Order: sequence, then structure tokens, then C-alpha cells
Amino acid sequence: MLAVGFDSLAMTLGDDPIVKAMMAEDFVEGTAINPFVIISEKGPITIMATIPELGQGINQGIPAIIAEELEVDLDEVNIVKSSASRKYGAQSIGGSRNTRMLYAPMRKLGASIKEVMVQAAANRWGVSASDCEAKSGKVYQKGTQKSLSYGELVREAAKLDMPENPSLKAKKDFKIIGKPMPRPDLGLKVSGQADYGMDAQPEGLLYATVERCPTLQGGLKSYDKDAAMAVPGVVKVMTVTRNVYGNENIGVAVIAENYFAATQGRKKLNVQWDNAEFTKVSSESIREEMLKLADEDGYEHVEKGNFNQSQVDGSGQIEALYELPYLSHTCMEPMNATVHVKTDGTCEVWAPSQRPQLQRQFAKELGIAESEAEDKIKVHMPYLGGGFGRRSMNDSLIECFQISKEMKKPVKLIWSREDDTTQGPFRQQTMHHMKAIFGQDGKPIGLQHKMISQAITTQGRPSRNRLPFEVMEGINTHYDIDNISSRFVEYTGQVPIHWWRSVFGSTNGFAHEGFIDEVAIQANEDPLQFRIDRLKSEPRFIKVLERLKKESNWEQKLLDNEGKGMAIVESFGSIVAHAVFLKKENGKVSMPKVVSVVDCGTYINPNQVEAQLESSIIYGLTAAMKDPITIKDGAAVQANFDKYRMLRINEAPRAVEVHIIENDENPGGMGEPGLPPIAPALTNAVYDLVGKRIRTLPFDLQKI
Amino acid sequence: MYIPYLKNASIMAKYKLQINQQTYEVEADPQTPLLWVIRDEVGLTGTKYGCGIAQCGACTVHMNGNPIRSCSIPVAAASTKKITTIEGLSEDQSHPVQKAWVDAQVPQCGYCQSGQIMSAVALLNRKPKPSDDDIDSAMAGNICRCGTYTRIRKAIHNASNDISNGSR
Repeated sequence: MLAVGFDSLAMTLGDDPIVKAMMAEDFVEGTAINPFVIISEKGPITIMATIPELGQGINQGIPAIIAEELEVDLDEVNIVKSSASRKYGAQSIGGSRNTRMLYAPMRKLGASIKEVMVQAAANRWGVSASDCEAKSGKVYQKGTQKSLSYGELVREAAKLDMPENPSLKAKKDFKIIGKPMPRPDLGLKVSGQADYGMDAQPEGLLYATVERCPTLQGGLKSYDKDAAMAVPGVVKVMTVTRNVYGNENIGVAVIAENYFAATQGRKKLNVQWDNAEFTKVSSESIREEMLKLADEDGYEHVEKGNFNQSQVDGSGQIEALYELPYLSHTCMEPMNATVHVKTDGTCEVWAPSQRPQLQRQFAKELGIAESEAEDKIKVHMPYLGGGFGRRSMNDSLIECFQISKEMKKPVKLIWSREDDTTQGPFRQQTMHHMKAIFGQDGKPIGLQHKMISQAITTQGRPSRNRLPFEVMEGINTHYDIDNISSRFVEYTGQVPIHWWRSVFGSTNGFAHEGFIDEVAIQANEDPLQFRIDRLKSEPRFIKVLERLKKESNWEQKLLDNEGKGMAIVESFGSIVAHAVFLKKENGKVSMPKVVSVVDCGTYINPNQVEAQLESSIIYGLTAAMKDPITIKDGAAVQANFDKYRMLRINEAPRAVEVHIIENDENPGGMGEPGLPPIAPALTNAVYDLVGKRIRTLPFDLQKI
Repeated sequence: MYIPYLKNASIMAKYKLQINQQTYEVEADPQTPLLWVIRDEVGLTGTKYGCGIAQCGACTVHMNGNPIRSCSIPVAAASTKKITTIEGLSEDQSHPVQKAWVDAQVPQCGYCQSGQIMSAVALLNRKPKPSDDDIDSAMAGNICRCGTYTRIRKAIHNASNDISNGSR
């Protein structure tokens, strides 16, 4: 199969000096049966990849679903990266939702096209459609040698009405879905040819960098424009506005002929900020405020039985406070944007974004009618050097747009790594007040998880006095304990937070599954068996746990210098359990192995299920063991990889074993669900190894 | 590397850079990190910006055969050296390390992988049969946020076998 990326192409039309922006779609030959599938009479079949590719293989995943029902071989299909356009429906990516949401409609889309191909062939042969069948891009007349390719049929097929309810294949007949497929974009990615947003290089490009207020909020008092302008190569200094959840933050942009000159100019700005009132916040002050909230009732998530009564009835209890810090998303490709608002009123954008459909927003700013927005504003969708939720905020694109609109020149705005790390928005800092009540037999009769945090969806707007939908992800209230209470106390703070890979699953999962481990130990039960015995109402959980028990050799006795821990979390429609194995040798703790079991329902490509689990494990281990974002005097302390350290190859688990549960359930998410259970599996293993309970992340594995 | 005598230099200078066995004439401030010259003046965008302080390895290129962080070398210090970027490994993704990377399906987002591959190639040139510990020390300077580390390790071992079997 082929991946085609020609996002940087432009074409001059005759003597017309205006260079028309050409998008990948413009080069595809053939009849567009619909926006997603283009079939050439000469043969090639093109399927558009319309969802931003941030490493998760979605550029192949969605076309594979179409190809399955269309009855074409994936290696004979051109997969072409699309631009942003409403003709492709919603193109945003996040919440591990795209495969889940597109699975059914894309199957139907592929099946409908196949049916009109079959009908067109039947018409040509004067037989009934039921006498024909489609295979590998051709329609055959059953019992004969006759066949016609889709290319030969496309003209007639395009005139037929698309069936509303085409028949779909049985899962047992799948040739593509569920089978391992090599990704089409990796050749580009091992040779430096994949086009990221950072790589956009339109003719006459200028480079911009922006100095922003370190306290994330604050007014602009003064800056030395002349000093910056005096740096050779600097062509302009101007202010830009960045809207973060309702706060309009002003920054000072330095624009130059090359990026180095822009950074040198920025150093000369000497910006004075009016931000005294925002310098009082620190991680400690936030913690103090959250601590005060830990005893409040908050909003109900789940109340089963009567937890308060169980506190009265019980004969023992354990109580714990779990805490997690703010974190930066830290995509390998720092935030950036390239925008060209042209003198003729049109606009071309290179959008490394998880929400690339920017046309209507920019059209409003440019005075372009909504009906003309997509004609006049072209948005390229480059490969994304990571997303992790951060790129669902288009702040860098909007800053860059302001600069190009002012200058009418192509401008690339590059956030430095320091900008990217310190400017947020961050993963939420949270506190979890956990309680378990035990009966006379020493077994748990009550469990409460009270979570204290900001919510993402209530920032910059008045409280709606109800539980925000996103905050309780990953809290498993299925445990067979008579009295369960799950509650949320909202903390409103000024540090902006944003969707971060697995969002609240990443924080809730750690506290909940860490504490369940404590409860199991207190009840004198094996932590894995404790879960099997108390999740009987959830057969999918049981299957995952039983499989983990087997694949990890859970019951095998370990040496004294070895430890094991496990955790299971359902999030984004999938259930993942990890078992982490630790070993202490010569005073050094290593992680020889992580065994993972996932039930993500029907999956498209098992290779990508494995890859996403490996990825979530490393991302989650970094969050658990490396650095927090600490707020001091209102600003983030950690700015670059020297202080905001990432897990490296020498610290990674030597082996990650992934086992996938086979079933016929609907697809679950895969980009995030592997993350929530890794931190508790790790800290539970630490407890098993040295008897120390880790309740605050991050922690240093070498100092346990 | 910082060149003190150039501290206040703001004049552009001309350089002849030897990159991937071609000569490129560029004009740049002598303090400009080699990274930006390779990307924006020469136009080879396979080499990536990740941190600017030699901590992440995304900008790794070879200078006279050694892996260096091009974000932290001023162009003035590179002008007489032989530089190889990811684009110079092969014309057709046929370098054994590139092939091993595809076979093991290493990249996800892919942004760090040019640097990872350049570090791995340098390791294998120096040590054709690296141990796991050799891989740890040679590759610990390259961060991957997608967490492809176990596959990188596997790909390096596979490439090492392919090279020693002469099947390149």
C-alpha cells in the first residue's frame, strides 16, 4: 500500500501570479464515489485518510475498515492523507474515540460502494445482483469466468443510488480487520520524509517566536521593541493574544527571516509583566486548598448501599490520601504552526492539530463568508509529532494566524521546548481521599473514593452545579463491596488544565487501584485473586484477570529480591490489566517485564493494539517515576528535559508482553486505556518488593 | 559549543557545508545552531528540533562519523566537517537500520526517529554486535515520547544480525 504526502506542493496557473494552494486531494485521479473513496477507471483505488495521524496508525486504521467492506486488498489501495474539510465529517481526534465512532459508519460506507459496484456489473451482464460477488476490487459473475474491475464499473456505479442499509460482512469473513498489517507511513518516518507541521516550508517563509507571561496570566506592562528590532534579521515585533479557557493572554511575538534571529530578538525584549496577583500560587498553596476540600461532600458519582452507615457498622477502617501533580503533555514535536494569509484574501494553513477544521473560525476573522470558507482557506494536515490531547487546543495556530494576518506573509511560529513545557495547559493536579471499612471478618464492607481536582470543562465558565462528565473516568465501582461511594469535590484554580492522555483515568486509576491493593492486603488476600473474587458481575473483567494470572505466571513464587504488582482499569471503552515485575540487584531496581492483557473488543490491527499498549506504558511510567510540573510563584518550574526528565531506554521495561482478548464486542479505544493501570501496577509491585506503599507520584524507583 | 569570540557577532557569514556528500553554500549568523541551518537553509527537514539543549537527541546527525546534537553546535564549528543526516543514509530506505526499523514497526508518531536511527547507526558502526548495555548507553540520549524503546532495542539487534550476515 502507498502513503502519499505532498502537502507542500503548490502550482502556478499559467501566467497567473497567484499560486493556488494544491491539496493532496487535487492530485487524486478518478471518480469520487463519495469524499472518502475515489476510483480511477485506469485502476487505482484511493481511500482518503481524514483523521489526524499522531502516531496511532489511524491513517491506515480507518481506510482498512472501508477496504474490508469494499472488498479491496489493502496493499492495492492508495491511502492519501486528506486536508481539513467538512466534507469528511468531524476530523477531530481525542478521547480514544475515532475507531470506536467510525467503525460502524465506515463499514457501511464501504459496503454501500461495494453494492453499487455489484449492481453496476449485474446491470451490464443483465443478471441479478445476487448472481454476482465482489472480491479484490473486482465483481465476478458466479459460476462463470466473467469479471469486471471496479475501475471499469465506476462510471455506471456512480450513477446508482447508494443503498441505505447494505449488508455487512460477518466477522469470520474479515480479511483485513483483526489481521496484522504493517503501517504505510513508516518508510517516510525512517527516512526523514514524513511531513510534520514543523517541516512546512512555503516560499518566503518568516519565523516567529513568542515571549509569554511566565505566570500564565498577567498583563503586559512594557517591552523593548527597538532592541529586538535591532537584531539583524528581525522584521517585526508585535503582540499576539492566546485564549486559554477564557483568559486572554498577551504575548510579544518577534518575527524574523530565520528562527535563530527571532530567538535572539526575543532575548532583547525585556518584557515587564503586570502579574503580581498571579505570583502567589504554588504547588503547596494548591495542595493546602485541596486538603481543605478533602472532607467536603462534593458531587455524587456513584452511591451504592450506604457508605456512611458502613463506617458506623464496621469494625475497622483504613484511610489514605493519594496525590498526583500537574504534568506537561510534552509532545516530541513542540507546538508550532504555519499560516499564510495572502494578499488576495485567501489563506493557507499547515495545522499540526487534533482539531484541524479551522476554516470557519479563520473565515470570520478574515471577513470571508462561511459558504466560501473552504474554498478560500486551505488547511493541510501534516503528521503530528505526538498529540496526547495537547494538540486539541489550537492556541499556537491562532497566535500564528494573527501574525500572518498582520503581515500577509507566510509565517511559522515555533514554540521552544521551554515554551511548550511551561505554558500549559497541564494534566490536572489531584488529591484522592480514600477510605475502606472492614467487617468483623476482616473483609471489606465499604469503600469510598473522593476525588478533589479542577475539572476541564468548567474552566472559564460558571459552575453548573453538577458532576462534570470527564472527572470520574477509571474509577471502578463494580467491586463487589456492599457500600460504595464515589464522589468529586471541585477545586477551582487558575492554573489551566487540559486533556492529557487518558485524562482523569491517569490520576483516578492510580489512586483507586493502589488503594484496592491496600484493601486486598489488609483483607489478607492475594491482590489479583481479590479482584477476581469481587468482579464476578463483570465477566469481561474476569476474563482479563484470569488471562493475566496465566500469562504472567502470577502464582509462581518469586525470589526475595523480586516483586510483582498488578492493576486493572476500564477506560475509553476498553479494559486493560498490567502486571509489573521488579528486581533489586546490587542496590539497583530494574523492571524486567510488564505483562499486559487488553480487552478492546473488536480491533482493527493487532500490531497497533500492541504498539499503543507499549506506548501507554512508557508514557504512564514517565508520569509515575520522573518529574512533576511544580508551580512556584505562579509559574512552572520545570522547563526542559534537564529538569523535566523523560523515561529513557535504559529505564524502560526490558520486555512488554501484550495479550489480546478475542471477542465480538464493539471496538473500544486504544490510544489511552493502557495508561491508567500502569502506575498502580508499578507501585503495587514496589509494595510487594519492599513493603513500602507509594501514594504520591512521582516517586524515584531507585530510592524505594 | 559556544564560541566566545563570536559573542557579539551579528554579521552573516558564508559557509560551505559538506552534507551527505554534497556541498551547500549557506549564509548564516555564525552562532546559528547547525540544526536550523540544515533544516531551514539547506532544506533537509528530516533532522528535528526537540529541545535545543542536547537533551533529547531528535536533532542527531553525524559529524565526521560521530553522532552529535546539531541543536548545540554552531554552524561556524561545522563548516569543515563531513555531516550526514537521516537523508544521507540511503536513497531508498535501504540502510539495514532503516530496514530493521520498518521490520520491527518501530515508529509511531515518528518525530524522534531520525535521531534514534542516527544514534543507532553510529553505535553499529562502532560496535557491530552491541549488548543490551551497549544499546542502553548509546541510545539513552534519545527520548521517545511514544515509548518505542523495546522495539528500538529489538531493531538494533536485528540490524546487527543482518549486517553480520551480510544481508544488507
